[in-house]
Amino acid sequence: MAGSRTLTEFRKLTLDSLQVGEEFVSDDHLVIPEDIETHRFAVEDDHPWLAEGTAPPTLMANQALHLRHSKYIVHAGLHARMEFNFLEPIRLGMRVRTKGKVIDKYERRGKPYMVTEYVTEDDTGRVLVRGQFTQMIIPEPEAPHGDAR
Amino acid sequence: MATRVEAETTVGQALPSLVKDVSQRRIDAYSGVRPRSIHSDEAWARQKGFRDCLAQGMMSTAYASQLMVKLLGPGFARGGTMSMAFIKPVYAGDRLTVHGVIKDKRRDGSATRVVVEVWVENQHGEKTAIGHATGLVH
Repeated sequence: MAGSRTLTEFRKLTLDSLQVGEEFVSDDHLVIPEDIETHRFAVEDDHPWLAEGTAPPTLMANQALHLRHSKYIVHAGLHARMEFNFLEPIRLGMRVRTKGKVIDKYERRGKPYMVTEYVTEDDTGRVLVRGQFTQMIIPEPEAPHGDAR
Repeated sequence: MATRVEAETTVGQALPSLVKDVSQRRIDAYSGVRPRSIHSDEAWARQKGFRDCLAQGMMSTAYASQLMVKLLGPGFARGGTMSMAFIKPVYAGDRLTVHGVIKDKRRDGSATRVVVEVWVENQHGEKTAIGHATGLVH
């Protein structure tokens, strides 16, 4: 049938439902001047990024951090650790996407954690940033889902 | 011959610190405004056990990145690394100070890699994020 497509089925994120090895892909994002301006305001960054046509190195970090929302209903969570390797500068006008893979999950002091490795690349596949991050999972008690990165 | 940046960086040197006022408006700009978000919904944040909305830990990586860009410029954006752990919540209204101390300088191919210990403290002198960042001097 023309126009038919598979809809994403979202699962509640718990340590049990999470699959190590599971892969994520973000949507493409065009880096626009407003992204850089908003970032400048949010973190009080006085560097003249726009004049140089470049973006702050961590600009697309939330694209990585938000990957799990593409498959899971995330009740709440906390970010525990973040690692970056900056290979090529992100530039104004680039289309970038982030791919990720769950590489570990564990429980420490009664709290569940997940570890994701990620790669942010441009639309030619050139790697811009790679790294990994650790997020704590706050499971849903008996309430609607929430949002935390 | 040593470059200006290479000559001006010495192990043990403290970098000029950055001070950041983490307002709710800046958190909203960074994280977006959503219902049931610990970053932008105060009631939800309290329900989750926090006294106010929290800033994303990622904002602290942006602060540390600024410190490194001021030190190394393009040598951080291409070839830099950063690893940070978020050890204490940052709340709307907190004033943070971002610190860095050069811990090492070592050869990396034809460049010198500068290793910086970075940390972020709140207005009470409590560390909220710790880690290290590196970048290249060509």
